[in-house]
Amino acid sequence: MITVQNLIKTYNGIAAADIEALELHAGEVVGLVGNNGAGKTTFFRLLLDLIRTDKGAIFSKGMPVSSTEKWKNYTAAYIDEGFLIDYLTPEEYFYFAGKLNNQSKADVDAVLLHYQDFFDDSILNKQKFIRDYSRGNQSKIGIVAALLCKPEFLILDEPFANLDPSTKLRLLTMIKEMAADKRMCIFISSHDINHVSEVCTRILLMEKGKIIKDIAGGDAAYGEMVEYFRVK
Amino acid sequence: MMLSVFLRHQWMAFRRRSSAGNSMAMHIILGIFYFLIFAEIAGLGILLPFILPELAPGKDPAIVFCSYIIYYFLIGLLVRLQFQELPSLSIQPYLALNIRRKRLLRFLNVRSLLHIINVLPFFVFIPFTIVIFVPQYGLVSSGCFLIALFALVASNHFLNMYVKRKSVSNSRWFFVLLLLIVLLKSLDYFKFLPIEKISAEVFIYLLEHPLHCIFFVAAAWLIFLLHNNYLRSHLYIEELLPEGKIKTANTFSLLNRFGDTGEMIALDLKLIVRNKRPRNLIICSAVILFYGLLFYPQYLHTGNYSMLFLFALLITGLFVSNYGQFLFAWQSSHFDGMMSYNFNVQQYIRSKFLLLSTVCSLQFIFAGLYGFMDWILLPIQLAAFLYSIGVNTFLVIYAATFNYKYLDLGKTGRMNFQGVGAIHWLQSLFISLGPALLFFLLQKFAGLWFAILLICCLGIAGLLFNQKIIGWLAAQFMLRKYKMLEGFRQR
Repeated sequence: MITVQNLIKTYNGIAAADIEALELHAGEVVGLVGNNGAGKTTFFRLLLDLIRTDKGAIFSKGMPVSSTEKWKNYTAAYIDEGFLIDYLTPEEYFYFAGKLNNQSKADVDAVLLHYQDFFDDSILNKQKFIRDYSRGNQSKIGIVAALLCKPEFLILDEPFANLDPSTKLRLLTMIKEMAADKRMCIFISSHDINHVSEVCTRILLMEKGKIIKDIAGGDAAYGEMVEYFRVK
Repeated sequence: MMLSVFLRHQWMAFRRRSSAGNSMAMHIILGIFYFLIFAEIAGLGILLPFILPELAPGKDPAIVFCSYIIYYFLIGLLVRLQFQELPSLSIQPYLALNIRRKRLLRFLNVRSLLHIINVLPFFVFIPFTIVIFVPQYGLVSSGCFLIALFALVASNHFLNMYVKRKSVSNSRWFFVLLLLIVLLKSLDYFKFLPIEKISAEVFIYLLEHPLHCIFFVAAAWLIFLLHNNYLRSHLYIEELLPEGKIKTANTFSLLNRFGDTGEMIALDLKLIVRNKRPRNLIICSAVILFYGLLFYPQYLHTGNYSMLFLFALLITGLFVSNYGQFLFAWQSSHFDGMMSYNFNVQQYIRSKFLLLSTVCSLQFIFAGLYGFMDWILLPIQLAAFLYSIGVNTFLVIYAATFNYKYLDLGKTGRMNFQGVGAIHWLQSLFISLGPALLFFLLQKFAGLWFAILLICCLGIAGLLFNQKIIGWLAAQFMLRKYKMLEGFRQR
């Protein structure tokens, strides 16, 4: 699905992304972990062509993301509030996102019904603009808007942050359900190594822009990450 | 003591605001700008005694002045309702600290008084009083008269605050007040009720019996207490702030029929309607339609067609240049999102072009009424309109791709120069003065009709080749896309 070749992006001489070769495949749930400043968000933005690469290239289904736009048809992301149009109501935003992916209002309504539990009655029919929602609820809106597009490549940057405990668990279940769909590649980052090792089939550990570990998910991965993050 | 700490914090907040920028040139330009406004208004105060006799010949300027105080009061309230903000948020950080409520209240009251609209009257009233009233009625009377006038300013101020805090909808009050003013003026005009005469008699009486100014002060004090008591019992941030709920959901559903492009235009329209700063642009674009009443007659009289063309450009094209200069920056808070949603850049640019030209067409249609003033205005406005949509829209879109500064939609629009660089002043001048100069030269050397025709042709050519131009603009946009994304992320 995604091929990264000799990718380099530096800020003031410090590498924010320095990835020689990386492949992400359909059917994978890939977790990206690393401390603040490791370059996780930068890498996500590079994947979405929101930052110019200094060197190297990223290919989505074989097409370079920087010079084509076709990947937008099957890619969806929620990185931060910068993805939300905050003067819309959540409903308007969902219809807008749906419309861009050729979904009618009825299609969108059907999907929203599916995520009723995830919303937990705190999102829809509130007659409020997105800017007036709490951060946790804004994340919920952003995540569902990304899922709404039925993407094949999904990027979520720290989706568990700001969520309440029940919603976190629901999101974990949702990701597992989506992982059953083998045409999809899910790429998430998190500071919670529990969550990552639970849902991810593959874990990338990032430090100073480099991927220093590429391991399979599961209990063994959990142990390895605890070892890495242990405070000396 | 506590008050001075609060006020110092406010001053620091003002000095260190992120929109202040670092450009010295900008500060100087703005400084000159503010100085000019103050100087003009103070000048008005000084010149008023000399202008009034000319406007109303054979009448005592003191009486004329007094007869209009009632309108000053009502119109002042109207302006305040529209433009004066409640400084509620400024106390949020203090609410949880160990500070007595009384102190916070005092701070809120004093803070609210620090507004340009409360300062300006001084510049008109004091010079006028010194020139006209002091020689006629003496120092004591004039002093008391001034006190009464400032009591009126204070009443206006706190009445506005009270109304704003109490009611969710200011617009209803706004229109009621507007109707009242029109009604009073027409009652006077048709001689049913001599409002102006009553106003004059009351204030002349006040000048002759200066101690009665105590009633004005008492009224101001009462209104202040009313507002203060209300504030004291509602000192919770959620009650001080306007409600987040939406009253009218205008969804522009008509635009749904036009596919993704329609969807993008609807998005822009919602942006304009729901955010303060762009909303003010719409008000400006409506107000400027009336400029023709002011400026067209004199240039029609002298036959200065180039100036007529310049004003026609402003009247039909103001929205294009004002909204256009921040065309992409308006969406800076969610530009990351805009660039990863599923639509292509060409469509995006096209939607911007359609938005600009649609609003411009509306302005042109309304401006068509000036045809009743003189038919020659119609071809001139047509040329200005075609040039605006066929040439200026594209120029503005091109220039907007060079704007990398984040813009906060929530910030109030008046006197807000966030994101405005020197280049934009030049740009605004260029897109209005450039064609006016061209018109002037053409008219001088080839005649009026040739000038109109050629300008029209330029506009039509732009429209005919819009596909090509939009394609080129999309490529230009892509060149600077990363720079815009980067800039817009710097809050």
